[in-house]
Amino acid sequence: MESVNQLQRKLAEYTASLYNEKILDEQFVQLQQLQDESNPDFVVEVVSLFFEDSERLLNELAKALNQPNVDFKKLDAHVHQLKGSSSSIGAQRVQRACIAFRNYCDERNVEGCLKCLQQVKNEYNLVKNKFETLFKLEKQFVDAGGSFPVV
Amino acid sequence: MAHNKAAYRTTTTTTPPPPSLSIECSSPPITPKGSLPERVLSKMLGFADFSKRNQSPSRGSSGSGTPRTFHRDVEVDEELPFDSSICQSNYRGVFVVRLAIMVMLAILIGMLTLLTWHFTRVYTSKSLNTLAFGLRHELLQRPILRMWNILNTTVEITTAQVKLSEYVIRKYSNPVDQAQQVEQLYESMKEVTWAMFASRKALNSLTINYKNGFVQAFHRDHRSNNTFYIYSDLANYSISGTYDVNLLSSRQGWNDQTIHNNISAIWYREPLDPSTGEKNGKQSIIPPDELINIAGISQVPDGAASWHVAVSKYTDSPLLSAALPVWDPSNKSIVAVVGVTTALYSVGQLMKEIVEFHSGHIYLTSQEGWLLSTSTNTPLLMNTTKGPKLMMATDSEDPVIRSGAECLQKEYGNRLPPSQEVHIENAKLGNQLYYIDSFFLHLKRLPMVGVIIIPRKYIMGKVDERAIKTLVILISASICILIIGCVCIFVLTDGVSKEMKLRAELISQLNARRKAEASSNYKSQFLANMSHELRTPMAAVIGLLDILISDGYLTNEQYATITQIRKCSTALLRLLNNILDLSKVESGKLVLEETEFDLARELEGLVDMFSVQCINHNVETVLDLSDDMPKLVKGDSARVVQIFANLISNSLKFTTSGYIILRGWCESARGGNFSLNQKDSWTAPKVKFKRQESQGKKFSKKDNKMILWFEVEDSGCGIDPSKWESVFESFEQADPSTTRLHGGTGLGLCIVRTLVNKMGGEINVVKKDGPGTLIQLYLQLNCPAEVTGQHCQMRFEEHKLRVLLALNGRMGRVIMSQWLERNGVHTCGASDWNELTQILQGISVSKSHLQDAPCECLASEDLSIQDPQASLLFVIVVDIGILDLSTSIWKEQLNFLDEYCGRAKFAWILYHDTSSTIKMELRRRGHLLMVNRPLYKGKMIQILETIIKEKNLELQSFDNATVEGDLHECLEIDPNHSDITCSDDSDKSDNGNDRCASAFRSEKKREENFVKASLSHYGLNNYFIDFNDENASDMNDLGQMRNGEHQLTSTSAKEVTNGCSDKVAGQKSLAGLCILLAEDTPVLQRVATIMLEKLGAKVVVVGDGLQAVDALKPVSNSNECRNESLQEDDNSITSQAEGSYSLPYDLILMDCQMPKMDGYEATKAIRRAEMETGTHIPIVALTAHAMSSDEAKCLQVGMDAYLTKPIDSKLMVSTILSLTKRKA
Repeated sequence: MESVNQLQRKLAEYTASLYNEKILDEQFVQLQQLQDESNPDFVVEVVSLFFEDSERLLNELAKALNQPNVDFKKLDAHVHQLKGSSSSIGAQRVQRACIAFRNYCDERNVEGCLKCLQQVKNEYNLVKNKFETLFKLEKQFVDAGGSFPVV
Repeated sequence: MAHNKAAYRTTTTTTPPPPSLSIECSSPPITPKGSLPERVLSKMLGFADFSKRNQSPSRGSSGSGTPRTFHRDVEVDEELPFDSSICQSNYRGVFVVRLAIMVMLAILIGMLTLLTWHFTRVYTSKSLNTLAFGLRHELLQRPILRMWNILNTTVEITTAQVKLSEYVIRKYSNPVDQAQQVEQLYESMKEVTWAMFASRKALNSLTINYKNGFVQAFHRDHRSNNTFYIYSDLANYSISGTYDVNLLSSRQGWNDQTIHNNISAIWYREPLDPSTGEKNGKQSIIPPDELINIAGISQVPDGAASWHVAVSKYTDSPLLSAALPVWDPSNKSIVAVVGVTTALYSVGQLMKEIVEFHSGHIYLTSQEGWLLSTSTNTPLLMNTTKGPKLMMATDSEDPVIRSGAECLQKEYGNRLPPSQEVHIENAKLGNQLYYIDSFFLHLKRLPMVGVIIIPRKYIMGKVDERAIKTLVILISASICILIIGCVCIFVLTDGVSKEMKLRAELISQLNARRKAEASSNYKSQFLANMSHELRTPMAAVIGLLDILISDGYLTNEQYATITQIRKCSTALLRLLNNILDLSKVESGKLVLEETEFDLARELEGLVDMFSVQCINHNVETVLDLSDDMPKLVKGDSARVVQIFANLISNSLKFTTSGYIILRGWCESARGGNFSLNQKDSWTAPKVKFKRQESQGKKFSKKDNKMILWFEVEDSGCGIDPSKWESVFESFEQADPSTTRLHGGTGLGLCIVRTLVNKMGGEINVVKKDGPGTLIQLYLQLNCPAEVTGQHCQMRFEEHKLRVLLALNGRMGRVIMSQWLERNGVHTCGASDWNELTQILQGISVSKSHLQDAPCECLASEDLSIQDPQASLLFVIVVDIGILDLSTSIWKEQLNFLDEYCGRAKFAWILYHDTSSTIKMELRRRGHLLMVNRPLYKGKMIQILETIIKEKNLELQSFDNATVEGDLHECLEIDPNHSDITCSDDSDKSDNGNDRCASAFRSEKKREENFVKASLSHYGLNNYFIDFNDENASDMNDLGQMRNGEHQLTSTSAKEVTNGCSDKVAGQKSLAGLCILLAEDTPVLQRVATIMLEKLGAKVVVVGDGLQAVDALKPVSNSNECRNESLQEDDNSITSQAEGSYSLPYDLILMDCQMPKMDGYEATKAIRRAEMETGTHIPIVALTAHAMSSDEAKCLQVGMDAYLTKPIDSKLMVSTILSLTKRKA
């Protein structure tokens, strides 16, 4: 029981830090709210969907940017998608990077786009790590016998 | 820029504009400041200065600087990107061109000068030279001719003498007595010779030297003017007596030596009378050859004539002597030699004469250079020990002649080529220039050279002088022209350069302006982005707070704190919204909606809200809308409400006590002179009413723009007239010091003005009598055609109503009573309890006696005729504030009022904070008609209508003897009211679809208009709070309670929907709905699906627009597909789906940006397809763009609503519900 409490505190602190560092926003809260008995792994499911999708999109972006004639329209569409999905799970830093990215797309600035792509990747990796840690903690917590309060 | 300007100014001050000098060429321009060079220099410096400092000079032009081209260029400049380097180079180019023109001018003028000089000078000098040469030649020719003459004469005389001598000798050659013969010969010879000598005065001497050595000679001394006869001693000669004529024939016989050395011979000289030849003196013996040269045989060695130049000591000029032999008749031997000597004196004389006339020097020399004759008086001979001797020209005492001769000698040496004439011009002799000409006179045996030296000055002097003068004049004239030309160029190009400066300035200003505009654009952009970004976390904060508040496990302090936080957050959000609004307007992205809405209701809601705040301030909020206001107008309700919310809140801020009145009336846009009328109407409110009535009739035919006039009046501190304009600027407050006192950013009025302008109106602060502010504005709004200005107010007249207004606020009471009076309702007013009791007592008397009360005189006649019960309705509207609530007296007061309960209907005006005990008490006593403050028209109408209905019911119940109908039900049926409830809990009623739609549409905009839009709905709630209290559902109750609690912070829509959806979520509010989700992002797909499914809806997901269209297109197919897809999820749906073939889905959630076919295209396609079937499926856009332009685009393609990502589940629920409700 002691460890459960510890884990719970740890988890809470970690979650709070995620919000404090502005890695996640209230959208993630909503996601968590959506998780219930009927969809016990909803958050993990959505987040892994997000990972898959994002990785695909990042690859697409890198490919598009490496071409001699950058198709900015396509680029913009991809970034837009990434922005939409990241905002949906509340990964706001990725979302913000995407906004900057789109501005460069509008300006047709290849260098800026490359820079932004790097930034987006960084943010993505960051949020991915954070999520993984979070899920690990949650798993530990659940394994230890804790249960989430119904939001 | 300022720097440039300064530079330009300094340039202009250093070089004052040149005076108008270009025409006066003769005089160089003299300006008061400094000389011309200085000016030019300073000008140049100014140029350099300018071009140096001005980093962005204008683009050069062709230099033809007319203002027109200038403007045109500027316009072009505005469009073209500006290139400063080109400008600079062009500017320099002009500078160089200016210099080049000057240099060319200088060259041209110099050439002209030179040519003029050349032609005037060279040709004259050439012709003059020719003339001068002729002159010199002529001059020299004359002495030479004279010389020639002299020679000729000498020769002639000699020849004549010879001939005569021959004749005489022949005559006496016969051998007679020798002595006699000789005597005769000599005597006749003497006679002949004398005749010859006398005839020629110029002769110096005439000698005859006989073979035998006898000499006869005549000599003329020109100096002493004596004439001598010289002869040798005859006797002596005869003694020797060996005179052999034959011997004479042989040349050997002639021996000079013998003759000349005939020492023995004695020479005699006899002076003669020059004219007669008579002997006038005694003969004297002279040494031989002492006097004159006697020509001897040696001088005619070949028997021909000979010449030579001799000198004699008696003359100072050289002598020309000629000798000819006298032949004997046989012509075989020379018998005598005749010698003639002529002085060259006359030649010199002639030369002198010539020279006197012409100046200069002339001299003659022999070929060897011996000086024969000069035009000067210098001696020609030099005395040597051997007597006088000829001198060389180079030794002459006259310096000119000497130097001339030296010059000639230098030129040619001694090898003077014969017959060559020498002309030296400009020989420098001494200090002067001379012409030297020599002519060669080729005489046999005596070649001579004539030299004339004429000073150049004599011939060319005048010409040279003139030439120099001309040159000086020409040069000075050309310099003048050059200077004037340069000045002209400066003057002419000065305009160009000035223009260029101006243009440079203008362009830099344009640049600055462009930059400023860009920066302000960036600012707006930044603000928009920032506020957008800030709003998201703010919304999150508020949402989380709502969750917390609804948690229910909070302690009281926590609850209070959270409520406080929520207030602050809402305020912050409002500020952000203001900024976003402003930046939206500035960036031109604000798009006004065009929907129908009930203006009066919106404003009533607004006033309701603010009245809550007003009460705290002891301020009365009054809404006074005229009856002719159209009920429905088209426009952006949220924005209109925002305008008034801002204005009222602004007034509220500065009004501590008194009133705030929102007036509104209407004016048709067709009224041409309304501005004038309007002025009148402001100043004289009474006129206004009259006109309103007259205009009310005109409103029958309309589908036109209405001009709606509003004014917001308060009794606050007022605005200084000088600030009337500036209060509408952003971040401007009339008195900056009040910021601390009242708070606020000063954005409110600015937003108001931009919104008003956007709606085609104007806003102004107007002068007001008394303290406070009066702000007037008008809006142009469209009215739907079917709406007429007429309301139901006319009905009141037939009910014989009497209203007693017992209200605290004076303004509200006056306005209300005025309005009621206009509508045929008699009113009395009471401002406090005492007044009320007095009036009530008065009425009670009148009632009990069925007599006319003082206030009721008009209605009395009617009353008497009709049934009093049916005809007279006495309504008492009591403000709860009239009661003394601080103590328990109010219960007694209520008791007192209860006495009139039977005779009059009571309506209570409650405060928002009126305690529930009072409400309970009132309800207990049967006072069911309660409304919240403030009292305005709409509420009044409802009160009256309720009372009328109640009356009718009572009558019915009286007639039919039934139990009194349930009052509450009756009230609920009231259509107006059901509207309100509908907007509140939308799943309840269906008959207000349109309103709901509009309500929700505006609700969607809560992001921009968080507070105000929602207020209109929930404010309406307050109409009959207490009825709702009992009848409405729990949810409504909850919302109401919340409303009451948070009215101070302007309850938001979100909050209430929160409450709703919280409840609804539990109930699966979307149960039974089938939703098609078109979304390409898997994450969003998943999230939205779960969200919807949690709410009970069935979701079908498609990946792009094309699929979405396909899913809808073939109804049967799609149904099957859908069945299949749904079966995977839930089998129970199929039965439901079969029920509605025509509409397989209840709603579509459409992402706007999707691959293959985006949301817009898909929607268009769907709508096209629907044209055939005549159905309409609601489509809700999902987009990450939050600007209202995107919304407009969504709505334009046919979508029904619009949701932004990330999806807010509550908003989504309410939107979906509103749309599906309509359909159902």
